[in-house]
Amino acid sequence: MADPRPNPRFIVSEFADDPDMRELVAMFLDEMPDRIGMIEAASREGRVGDLRRLAHQLKGAAGGYGFGVVGEAAGRLEEALTAEASGSEPSADLVAIRAQVEELLDMCRSVRARASG
Amino acid sequence: MTESTSNNPVDEFKPIVLVIDDSVDVHRLLKARLRTEELEFREALDGESGLKVARDDSPTVILLDLDMPVMDGFEVLRVLKEDPRTLQIPVIVLSGLQSSQDKVTAFDLGAVDYVTKPFDLTELRVRVRSTIRMQRLIRMLAQKAQIDGLTGLWNRVYFNTRLTEELGRLSRREGNLSLAVLDIDHFKSINDTYGHPAGDGVIQGLAKLLQGEFRHTDSVCRYGGEEFGVIMPDTTLADAASVAERVRVAFERMVWPRHPERKTTISIGVAAVAGSGTLTVEAIIELADKNLYAAKSGGRNRVVATVADPRSVAGLRAAG
Repeated sequence: MADPRPNPRFIVSEFADDPDMRELVAMFLDEMPDRIGMIEAASREGRVGDLRRLAHQLKGAAGGYGFGVVGEAAGRLEEALTAEASGSEPSADLVAIRAQVEELLDMCRSVRARASG
Repeated sequence: MTESTSNNPVDEFKPIVLVIDDSVDVHRLLKARLRTEELEFREALDGESGLKVARDDSPTVILLDLDMPVMDGFEVLRVLKEDPRTLQIPVIVLSGLQSSQDKVTAFDLGAVDYVTKPFDLTELRVRVRSTIRMQRLIRMLAQKAQIDGLTGLWNRVYFNTRLTEELGRLSRREGNLSLAVLDIDHFKSINDTYGHPAGDGVIQGLAKLLQGEFRHTDSVCRYGGEEFGVIMPDTTLADAASVAERVRVAFERMVWPRHPERKTTISIGVAAVAGSGTLTVEAIIELADKNLYAAKSGGRNRVVATVADPRSVAGLRAAG
């Protein structure tokens, strides 16, 4: 039987109870593994431009599907990458950026349409 | 409005919303959020293609993302507001929550409103709704100012605007254009004998006949009291003269409820431009009027039609 209590490890869509949004949220979740894969690959291969574009897209999208915190984290990563691209000491922030990417990926893996099940 | 292709003014308003945003998700979300609003959607994923759609489809409202790669929303807005074809389209910008300076800049560039991302459902709907309502009112007022109250035909303001446009088009590429000027014969006597309501009835009857006889691409206008003008794009002199003759005969046969014993007739002057003309609005109206006068002095209830020679008309004007 499914545990009815909310799992604090999961990030639940703010639109969990909105029937208009159910289908769209499901679509977003379906595509999430692909997104995670692309972010991982761009980060691993050091493609900063691609990584920034992926973060930018996620920033615009996640909040719309009811995952505001994910959108904000993606926005912070995009900002860091923009600063990194134009900064004078490029290598200094790399460790921080990797940590941000990991934080974002963790969040992406925790998104759920509903609190239980 | 002036871009209408209908021979009489009818309001057929179906709002088109153009969304310019680099994120497929935003398009998807906006469509879902505005599903209940009965809108038609156009989508563009970058500024350049958004500008093209704005020019080609003249949307009712544009929802524009500010933060886009290559060409950002500010640049798109700047181009939209510099182009006379897109200048009038209201733009609602989509901006992040924390960027208030961006909003200020967008308003300075001519945006009418903004919506913050992530979208608040209610706010998004009311802002889009109010912008469309405003646009509908502007359109209605613009159209009202160009409609004749008695007949529902286009009025003289529209007639002049449209004729200027059509002649301008002709000066850019070769083609034909005909203009017919119609006048009810002995109209004053109808008014004096049967009263003004009878005169109004004749004017309305002629208006109805004209709307039925001319193509929907022609512009039928009430030019003055009992005088009408019809602009016929892509129409040769022969075609224009034959429609005018058909209208003349049909009008003569009409039976009037207020005075069945009395026939009424019209005189028609037709002027046509062939080839790439550089004729002015005044010159083509002058020629049509001259032909109308010839029809009147030739005994009324007839059509006189001639082709305008741009040089001779210009010379005539210079001499006169």
